[in-house]
Order: sequence, then structure tokens, then C-alpha cells
Amino acid sequence: MKDTPLSNCERDFLLKAIEEKKRLDGRQTYDYRKMKITFGTDYGCCFVDLGKTRVMAQVSGELVAPKENRPNEGIMFFNIELSPMASPAFEQGRQSELSVKLNRQLERCLRNSKCIDTESLCVVSGEKVWQIRVDVHMLNHDGNLMDAASIAAITALCHFRRPDVGIQGDEVTVYTPEERDPIPLSIYHMPVSVSFSFFQQGTYLLVDPCEREERVMDGLLMIAMNKHREICSIQSSGGIMLLKEQVMRCSKIASVKVSEITELISKALENDKRARKAGGRCGFAESMPQERITALKMDKTSVEMTDVSDRANDIVQKSEAPPQTVPSPVVPIPGVGQVGQGLQNTWGLEDDEEEENGEEQDEKITEMEEEQHEKEESRGGDVVEISDSEEEEVVILHPETPDKTPKNTGSSFHQKMAATSKKRQKK
Amino acid sequence: MGNVVQRQTRGALRFEVCGNMAGLELLSDQGYRLDGRKASELRKVQARMGVFAQADGSAYLEQGNTKALAVVYGPHEVRGLRSRIRHDRAVINCQYSMATFSTAERKRRPHGDRKSTEMSLHLKQTFEAAVMTQLYPRSQIDIYVKILQSDGGNYSVCVNAATLAVIDAGIPMRDYVCACTVGFVDETPLTDLCHAEESGGVSSLALALLPRGGQIALLQMDARLHQDHLESLIEAAMTACKGVSKVLDEVVRQHLQEVSVLSGE
Amino acid sequence: MGPSNSNNNTCERSCCRVAMFSGLKEKVGEVLLPGDEFSLETDDTISLTEHVKPEKVVCGPGLRRSGDRLLVCKSGVLRHKQPNMFWMDSQQRRYVPAKGETVIGIVTVKSGDVFKVDFGGSEQASLSYLAFEGATKRNRPNVQVGDLVFSQFIIANKDMEPELVCMDSSGRANGMGVFGGGGLLFSVSLGLVRRLLSPHSGVLSDLQQLFPCELVVGMNGRLWVKSSSVQQTLVISNLLQSCDTMTAQQRQQLFRRVAQGAL
Repeated sequence: MKDTPLSNCERDFLLKAIEEKKRLDGRQTYDYRKMKITFGTDYGCCFVDLGKTRVMAQVSGELVAPKENRPNEGIMFFNIELSPMASPAFEQGRQSELSVKLNRQLERCLRNSKCIDTESLCVVSGEKVWQIRVDVHMLNHDGNLMDAASIAAITALCHFRRPDVGIQGDEVTVYTPEERDPIPLSIYHMPVSVSFSFFQQGTYLLVDPCEREERVMDGLLMIAMNKHREICSIQSSGGIMLLKEQVMRCSKIASVKVSEITELISKALENDKRARKAGGRCGFAESMPQERITALKMDKTSVEMTDVSDRANDIVQKSEAPPQTVPSPVVPIPGVGQVGQGLQNTWGLEDDEEEENGEEQDEKITEMEEEQHEKEESRGGDVVEISDSEEEEVVILHPETPDKTPKNTGSSFHQKMAATSKKRQKK
Repeated sequence: MGNVVQRQTRGALRFEVCGNMAGLELLSDQGYRLDGRKASELRKVQARMGVFAQADGSAYLEQGNTKALAVVYGPHEVRGLRSRIRHDRAVINCQYSMATFSTAERKRRPHGDRKSTEMSLHLKQTFEAAVMTQLYPRSQIDIYVKILQSDGGNYSVCVNAATLAVIDAGIPMRDYVCACTVGFVDETPLTDLCHAEESGGVSSLALALLPRGGQIALLQMDARLHQDHLESLIEAAMTACKGVSKVLDEVVRQHLQEVSVLSGE
Repeated sequence: MGPSNSNNNTCERSCCRVAMFSGLKEKVGEVLLPGDEFSLETDDTISLTEHVKPEKVVCGPGLRRSGDRLLVCKSGVLRHKQPNMFWMDSQQRRYVPAKGETVIGIVTVKSGDVFKVDFGGSEQASLSYLAFEGATKRNRPNVQVGDLVFSQFIIANKDMEPELVCMDSSGRANGMGVFGGGGLLFSVSLGLVRRLLSPHSGVLSDLQQLFPCELVVGMNGRLWVKSSSVQQTLVISNLLQSCDTMTAQQRQQLFRRVAQGAL
């Protein structure tokens, strides 16, 4: 089925809005959408929500014969499935350009950067090795599939546990999880992809483009990096012409974003670990009876509303915050969309303060804010050079926003503040 | 650009098995590479334009031991899927293939595997940026590239060959598109990697450049590299691309001279 | 445009008795599911003194007559309009064209005498270049691919390609035609569009108090907004998109907050 065509008026409006440094959903130029990482019941199953984009990654492992030229290395296999479920533009079966592009980029991002110790996956040299297969399924397409896919894939890999094996003579025994605890993969580093879209021949730059922005953009630059500021892969696409300075600037922004995202991933993993240790039931299937799955997931209205109030505030130059006592208007009407969002958190530990989820309880939010402050401080302490180099960036990046952050905290802090202030306004 | 000297690659270094190359010294203490080049030295580039009569434009290019043929047809009306027609510009259709005998290991290379599809996509993207497609609305330009012998830097050789072919076909471009791969060893950027170096676990960066404006039409990097080194690597790649563009410019001028002599001017 | 003639691809009149009429009336405002039925059969107790006049009932979308029964074939809320019109207000997301409805379409192809227009339905509609106000064979309207057109269906049935026109029966544009410069197009649910278009729309009156803006509403769930600045246009579009899942009270609260912040 064909996608809805993009009208000239949408294109013109979007470009005009981008010129004025406005985005459809009220984000700042370098903001990510709300990101949420959840896990399935099984090990190695991970869902990532990036705004309305939703992807699922599932890792599985099996014993196979190794490749001839690498007899004592395990095999990594990546596959991104663009199912027609995610968007009417995706067709079943045929390998589209987009799917080739995404698949190769994911391979480059995760396999070529050697983030996983493949030698530890060898069972019997030349005969049996583990093949680790990562299947990424797109569930809903609202732009920036690559970032969501890379986050989902690496998180799922971190979450995955392979069965333990024992070797007696020639015999290889695979133990069930009951017999022996399954073993996590050894992961050296976590590459995360960050996408930048360019508009008007590279004059304007946006992070994390949504679907409509992707349709208007001239080109895309994907930078995969880990938190040690090592670039794992760069790929430009679309017919844009970049300048070296732009690439350098993007790589700087990427390093900030990656450290934020990595933090989020490890926090999510930790929460899940704790939840599993506590023996609580968790995962996707468990969320069904608690009505956490939205039946009529029409719009995450909460997002729009926070943005609206945020923006409304922009108009008055953030002079006054809406009264804190106004009850959140997000309470869903029965029967119309939005089942479960914003209810008492029944998910267990796994979900709390996981990410910039605006619908948590008040105390949670404050908790999170504190955490973010802490995190920010610690980050500033660790890598002094970044924040130094970022400092100039901030000035360039947000020329219009009132500079309400102390200079020495860097741009990431600035964006965090924006996110948290959004939350505060909503309450 | 003075340091980009061309020299014949010393000996055809071809490694049959790309096993663990970690033991191999890619850059000697004296500053020489496996095939005797300096770090910022390109391989010898030789090219001819107009090698086929049937095609609208064609070129053959050797860069060291990597050899490629490029053929251009068009602009012509859009064939196949009518839905690809763009009412404001030409579409570019690229096809990349490798000859069965192009590598040490002889194997049939089916069309449409992920790597070659990706390579076709990248070529397409590079030329969409460089060719002035808006001059030919509702039409199509085909670029077919074949690697005859592969010794590293396949993408860049293809781009360089295809540039010549597009020029031969008389299709207007903003500038030459020149591509080059650059590796990073011992804090030194190595220009124009050969196969041995590529498979030696070097982090490599491929860059296609429009030299005059310094605009990057395609940037691709594999393997890990610290952010701080990125700038020097891109810088090296851009210098190398400018070197390539000089050679290509010479080839084009020479070709045009030959043709005009033949036509009796 | 009242909601009664919305989506009326299956509009039929059935003759029935008061009994059923009242049966239907009882259920107005209730949620009904496909398969629910109303019987047309006569009541056992017919008053002899009073003459019972057979009454006509107009069935809108979602109701279907089968023999002497009236079947519900879409889930939703039963609605009623005086004197005797009934229809189901369903939460369908895909637009089904109906004759006479006005939609916002996107021109996708210019071919010869007709434009192809995407309106979000199952197939594209055709729009003749002569169907614009003042258009003649010589004087063609200036329509580009990708332009928005506000137009009306003159042919919309399940067997034929839908056809749009940009003028009314008297040849006047009457607000229709190419539009869209400087505004933003976005999609909302069909239900919200109907709510916006209903005569005493709460959403619209709330919105009116907020900013001055131009609003074009297509029955196909597309809205186009233009306001004095990009900022305000974005605010309005986000407000409207979030209206879908809010009660009137919540909406008013939100609008008030935006007004306080903005004015």
C-alpha cells in the first residue's frame, strides 16, 4: 500500500518551522523524543519506544558449525524486519533500499565495531560455536528507526543470557536454565547510533527526526558511538553535501547523546535485574492483564500536551509556570485510547524512573530530577574536556533560548533541564 | 597536495587468506607501508575514458591493483517501475557488481546480496549529490560499475571510474566526485588502503568529495576510532581526494585533446 | 454540515412501527455492537382506538435493514436526530467517501484532463480540471502536484472511482479549490472531525477563544490550520490532535492553561 503523499504545504511549513527553530512536537533542535526501554519475559527481548516509534529486538542463540576462516569465533547475525505492520509504506518480503540500509548499518554498528567478544562464543574449536541472532522488528514507524533499532539491539544483547554448556570428551551438553545459570554475553562496549537530519542543503540540523521531518529532509548522517567517545561507524545518506565542520559538530553532539542514552540503558538493565531478582513477574505478557497495553493507541496525547504547555510557556518566555495544582489532564477516558498510561505504576521495579516518562508520579519525577542532577555532576567530573568543548556548542546551538544554565555544565545539562521542566509544568 | 606522489605499487601484494593480520606491521618504523608507500601516498591511478562504443559514457580505471569498469547510459526515459519517475529531477540507477575472478577466492557473486546492494545504494547517493539531476526531469541515468580486480578501496575506485564515465557521457556535474579510503594506524592516517591493510583490522573511512567546495557527498566509517582522531582522518581523506581529482582532471583533459585531434580540429 | 449525512454509504429508509422507533430511541447514546438487532415486528397490543401511523426511520451508517429486522453492523454509539434519523457513531479510522462530503485532498498526479487526488480512502479520486470555478478548456486552473484541494464528492460509491469537484452545483467555488499556503496539514480521527463540524461544537468554540486562526476541516480526518505565526499554528495543531482523547472538562482546562500562558 502506498504511503500518504506529502503535500507541498506540509513541506513548506515544516521547513519554515525548522528555520524558526520550532519542531512539530515542541522539541528543541537537539532533543530526543521520550525514550522508553522495556523488557520481555524472556532474556534478550527488548522493546524501545522513541516517541511513537516502537521497535522490538529479540536475541536468540544456537549451536552451529563455525565459518571456515574463523574456526574459533562465534557468529553474529543481525536482521531488521520492516513489517508492513509498522507503516503502510513497508512491503512484505521484498528487500527495500531502506531495509538494506538499516541492516548494513546495524551490522556495521555492532559487528564491525567488535563490541561482542565472539571468541568467548566458541564451544569446540572448528566444530561448534554459538550463533547469536538478533532480530529487530519494527512495530511502529514514526521516524528514526536506526537509533531505535540500535538501542534495542544492544540492550537486548546486554540482556541476553545464553545457556551454559559443558564439554566432556567429545560430548557437548547444553544445560537448561534450571540446571545451571545461563551466562550473559561478554560485551566490550555499547555502540549507540545517533541520527542527524539535514535541511536546506545542510543549513539546519535536527537530532532524532520524526517521520514527517524525515520526509522533508535532504539527508541523514548516522553516527554510532560508545560512551568512551569512540566512533564505531559513520554513515551519511541521502544526497546531501556535508562540510567537515558539520561532521565534527555532529560527532560532538553525538558523544553527549550517546552518554545519556548509555546511562539510560544501563539503568533500565539494572532495574530489570532487580525486578527479576525480587522474583516479581515482569515482561510484556505480564502487562496484558494490567491493561498497560494500549488497545486504541491513537495518540500519546500526553506528549502533545506537555509540549503544548511547554510551548505556551515559551511564548511568555517562561515567565510563569502553570499552577502546580492543576490535575493532569492525561487521565484517559474509558474506551478512548490510552489505556493504562498514567495509572499507578504497577509494572514493578522495572519501569520506575526508567526514562523521561512524563507520566510517573510526582515524587518519582523529583527523584529522577535529582538523579539527573547527580548524574550530570558526575559526568562533568569524569570528562572535563567534553564539557569544555561543549560549552561553545551550547552557545551556538541554543542561540535563542535564554541561557538559564550555568556555563560549566554543558549542553546535556541544558537539555535535561528542558526535559525536567516540561515534566514539572505538566503536574 | 605536494606530498601525494604517485608511484607504482611495489609488487602485487595479495594475501590469499585474510586470517589474523594482527602480527603484520602495517607501518614500519621508517614510515613505510606494506607495499612500500608512505603514509599519505596514493596508489598509482591510471584511467581511460570512452572504452566502449555502445554506451553513452564509459571509463576504465586502475588504482594500484584495483581495477574497475564503469558504464553510463542516459539520460533516457524511465524504464521499469513508472512510480520511480520524479517530476522535478532525474533518477539515478546504479548497479555494482564484482567479477567472479576479482578476488583471490573465485566465487560466483549473485546480484542483490546485502553488500552489493548497499554499495549500489552508496554509489547512487554519491552521484545524486554530484550530478545536476534537476536538468533532466522525468528521466533516468544508469551507472553500471564492475570491479575486475579487487585490492581494497572498491567503493572509491568505483566512484572515481564512474565520475569519468559520467563526464564521458556529457552529463553535467557540479564537480568531479572523487573518493578515497583512509585508514588509521599508530596515530597516523594511511591514505588509499590496499586489501592487505583493509583486512588488517584498520579502522577505515571512505569519503567521497567534491573537491572544489570541499563538500562531502558520502562519508562512511567502520571500526572503532576515538572521536579526537576523526578530524585528522577526514582531513587526510580530503587531501587524498583532491589528489585523485588532479589525476582525473588530467585524464579528462588528455582524452578531450585526443578526441578533438581525431575530429580534425 | 450535520453529522447525519456523514458517511452515509448505506442510507436506507425502512418503514416500521412506533414500537421499534421507541426501541431505537431508548438505546440512543448507548454503545451497540455489531449483531445487535431491533425487531420490526408489531407489538402484540395494538390499540384499536388510536390509529398507528407507520413511521419512516432513516438509517445512517452502521445500521442495516435485513428483512424485518434492523441490524447494527458497526460498533459505536447510537445517535439520533430529529425527527427519525439514526446512525452509529463509530471510531473508524479509515475514511470511506460519501457523496456530498467535503474533503481535503492532495494532488498526486497531473495526467491529461484529470488530477488524481489522494484523500486517504481506499483509492485515489479523480478531479477534472474543468471542475474549478471559472475553468475552461483554455483557462486551466493552476494546480501543482502536491497541492491541497478542498473539494466535494460528486461520485462516491463502491463500484466506481470516486470523483471530486471544486465547485457547487451553481458553478461557484464556494470556498473550495486549491489552498494551503503557509498552513499546516495534519490528521485527526474521523470522530473528532465530525465533532468539529457539528453545529454547536464545543471544541471549536473553545478554540475560538484562544487564537484567531484559519481552519479547514475535511471529512476525511484532515485538518489544515493557519495562524499568525508558526508557533501558534503548531500550538493549535497539537491542541486539536490531543482533543481526541480528552473529556470536555479536561479540554477546557488545557485550553484555559494555554490561554493563560499565551494571552
